[in-house]
Amino acid sequence: MAWADLVTIAPLAAAILVAAAIVVVDMIRPGGRTAALIVSFGGLAIVAGLTVLTGGTPASAFGGTYRVDALTTFLDLIFISIAALTILFAPDYLEPRGLPIAEFAAVLVFAMTGAMLIAASADLLVLFLGLELMVLPGYLLAGYAKRDALSTEGAIKYFLLGSFSSAIFLFGLAFIWGLTGSTRVSDVATHVAAMVSGSAPFSPGLAMGLAFLTTGVAFKIAAVPFHYWTPDAYQGSPTPITGYLSVGPKVGAFALILRLFVGALDPAKADWLPVVIVLAALTMTLGNLVALTQNNVKRMLAYSSIAHTGYMLVGLAAYADGRIGGLEGLLYYAAAYTFMNLGAFAVIAALQRRPGVTSQLETFAGLGRREPILGILMTLFMLSLTGIPPTAGFFAKFSVILPAVQAGGWLTVLAVLAMLNAAAAAFYYLRVVVYMFMREPTGEADRSPHGSLVWVGLWVTTALTIVLGLFPGPLLTMVGDAARALP
Amino acid sequence: MSIDTFPILSVVTFLPLIGAIVIGFLPRDRPDLARWTALGASGLAWIFSLFLVVGFLPGRPGGGFQFVEQADWIPAFGIQYKLGVDGLSLVLVVLTTTLSWISILASFGPIKERVKEYMISFLILEVGMIGVFLSLDLFLFYIFWEVVLVPMYLIIGIWGGPRRIYATIKFVLYTLVGSLLMLVAILATAYTYAQGHGGSFQGAFDFIALRDYAATAGFSNNLQMLAFAAFFLAFAIKVPMFPFHTWLPDAHVEAPTAGSVILAGVLLKLGGYGFIRFALPLFPEAARTYGPWIIALSLIAIIYGAIVALVQPDLKKLIAYSSVSHMGFVTLGIFIFQPQGMNGAILQMVNHGLITGALFLLVGVIYERTHDRTIAKMGGLASLTPVYAAVFGFFMFASVGLPGLSGFVGEFLVFVGAWAYNPIVAAIAAFVMIFAAGYLLWMFQRIFTGDVSEFFASLGHHITDLRPVEIVTLVPLGTLVVVFGLFPGLILDLVSGTVNSVLGSVGAATAIHLLPWQ
Repeated sequence: MAWADLVTIAPLAAAILVAAAIVVVDMIRPGGRTAALIVSFGGLAIVAGLTVLTGGTPASAFGGTYRVDALTTFLDLIFISIAALTILFAPDYLEPRGLPIAEFAAVLVFAMTGAMLIAASADLLVLFLGLELMVLPGYLLAGYAKRDALSTEGAIKYFLLGSFSSAIFLFGLAFIWGLTGSTRVSDVATHVAAMVSGSAPFSPGLAMGLAFLTTGVAFKIAAVPFHYWTPDAYQGSPTPITGYLSVGPKVGAFALILRLFVGALDPAKADWLPVVIVLAALTMTLGNLVALTQNNVKRMLAYSSIAHTGYMLVGLAAYADGRIGGLEGLLYYAAAYTFMNLGAFAVIAALQRRPGVTSQLETFAGLGRREPILGILMTLFMLSLTGIPPTAGFFAKFSVILPAVQAGGWLTVLAVLAMLNAAAAAFYYLRVVVYMFMREPTGEADRSPHGSLVWVGLWVTTALTIVLGLFPGPLLTMVGDAARALP
Repeated sequence: MSIDTFPILSVVTFLPLIGAIVIGFLPRDRPDLARWTALGASGLAWIFSLFLVVGFLPGRPGGGFQFVEQADWIPAFGIQYKLGVDGLSLVLVVLTTTLSWISILASFGPIKERVKEYMISFLILEVGMIGVFLSLDLFLFYIFWEVVLVPMYLIIGIWGGPRRIYATIKFVLYTLVGSLLMLVAILATAYTYAQGHGGSFQGAFDFIALRDYAATAGFSNNLQMLAFAAFFLAFAIKVPMFPFHTWLPDAHVEAPTAGSVILAGVLLKLGGYGFIRFALPLFPEAARTYGPWIIALSLIAIIYGAIVALVQPDLKKLIAYSSVSHMGFVTLGIFIFQPQGMNGAILQMVNHGLITGALFLLVGVIYERTHDRTIAKMGGLASLTPVYAAVFGFFMFASVGLPGLSGFVGEFLVFVGAWAYNPIVAAIAAFVMIFAAGYLLWMFQRIFTGDVSEFFASLGHHITDLRPVEIVTLVPLGTLVVVFGLFPGLILDLVSGTVNSVLGSVGAATAIHLLPWQ
């Protein structure tokens, strides 16, 4: 192990140390909220600093299995923001329910570490390692309210389908390894390229391997028809954790797609393009149609997150058709979706600060009168999720639709379908606004104040939702660099 | 800062936004402050828009844009912040700023709940509307186009009538379907332009660059047919053209009075403006191909709107359907590709904004006193409120198209153009004039003449005549109706450059005779 390798993996190592430190601090002062939070935020700030510092120069470590480039840096920063924002939102929800904060923060940072490992892997085995490290804490978190039957049910479904899909994914990896004789991403790419160009014999095993990999990944990103675990896992989990689950593992799984499909299987993209088109079309349409009928906001956002997966897949499809802009769009979408969706979940969590408050639509009735600021912020997030300018959500849609239109042919049809879906989605997002501003409150108002951490998180997500919509330039530069870092 | 570099268009556009932000910081228990701030902000925007009229030079050939402001916004995609004004947008911007302050003043009495939020929504609505008329960048245009949607959604949904939630969601969904498809078409157009310029997006969303490209190289037939269809859907829903009109009666009936005024006065014009500004110059061949079908739809709208208006029991719904009919004249005038027709269409847009805006204000007056709009319950109002009856009659005759008032000139020019296009089309349109006179005069007769109805009698002293503030809102509209009726040249001189330029790009003959007696 060389010194240079240690420098390259410094952010990852620091993240693991932070998670461990939270556990240690909690052992010294059990149940202490302040100490755990200080260690979490301080540690995450250090990790972010290291990420930016080491991200400046592309490097690889451990014989090429670990690779840091602009894409790694970009994704790592998103993962760190997700973890930090979730820890900001969680205490006000967890504490009244008697759920420990330190353990939650530690598990979350471990999950973040897994996601960071995915973003930096240049080897299929490391990729799988990262994936498991990311999703295992996710199962724990989903069942975090262990005395709550719904939470446990959701966690078990999540766990069973998750491990099932991991197994399928691993099976697919085995095929690819068997055919190419290497687990290194670059070697696999070379072999696949030779096979596609006809200079090496074609094997149906490649198609099998691709099919298994696609299935496994489709489970992870909750693409239709592999989405059945999502609504229950989302509805059952404690709300801040649902917020995390809706963005963290999703962006992580997309990182996996970028490293695997774009990195290793890029030469075969003509073969997986039709699959992505069909997945995207099914995912956004079904997600939206089912979301239309939901009366529980968390469940509605779960289905809507399926729909957003579909929009992101449009970007991937545009890339597979030869448009690098599709990747940029996907990454932009991932960032925008992260902030607006976390913001929306933060509002729900803030409303549920008192145990027993449900996430039914009725909870939102008259919110515009009871807590105007919360109502206005939720409206902003809903408009952004709908894709109304000038918000981040609008520019995100713009950035995936433009390359799809450029690609032409079926991709344009997909773009039109995406826009029709966005119009349908307006119905259920605006229904929340209807309840908040156009209905009278039911029951008496909860006058207990929100914690200052929640406000900090809300203002950060709000600012980003607006700024990414009005001034997308800087982030566009970042995603441009990140997309070009891939081969 | 010299007079030449003063960003007057940005000032006009964003003055209401500043007002909205200020209102956001005002105390909740002082609704009067919010009201007067909103009136002040919209009044200032109005005054600055009048400066535009003074400084505008109508003589410039080729429909050139003036007061152009330009700055890079998202350079990666060649997206600019670019505003400019020509005769057409100037007329519509002044219509918007005028109706905005009138609507805000008219809301002082009726809106008593959540005044702050109402005024903020209204001012943001004004920003969106002005922005649509001034944008010279398709991306910017789209943003303002969507910005209009949200405050109107809130205005109908929060301050509207009993079925407001149904109406407002219908309004949003209809509009979104059209506009999102238009976004795809905008992207396809921009990309085609970029392809024609070595793959660079520089200027790909710039309207002037796109227009010049369409005039020289031209977009491929395929793109034109699809992109025009998407633009058409967005604009036809806004106008609204038959059969995309069904959101309009619901939205009008449920909207508060000022919401109806803006809806009819400005929002419907966004569609007509979009046709003239974007759809025709960018996709001329598609416009010629689809033209006859759109004319057919316009004729159906003219007849259908009039017939349905005839049987409406609700006063507001009657005027809403009359809007469908009147806006049919606008799309007819645009798509016959005759100079008289298009001039008439623009004039008709302005007139419809003024007259129907005033009629909705007048319906609001009676509704505020009786909380009912059922025509069958009314009767003999002229003896109770003579001033109100006289003003109502004035605007009713303007709407019918009485010569000397502005409604006449617009429709007449459309007839002239339609006659040159096809006498049968003109004959059908003229025939409907009789219907228009029929439903409006019959309505007037039922409400104002005869004995005082039991319903009115039971309300007794609640039925009062026009108050001073109501007269203040109606007088400017009435004045303009008379002025434009007698001197339509005031508008025609401003817009003729745009009309000639647009018709030049769709390839029709640009004759100079605007009025046959000239």
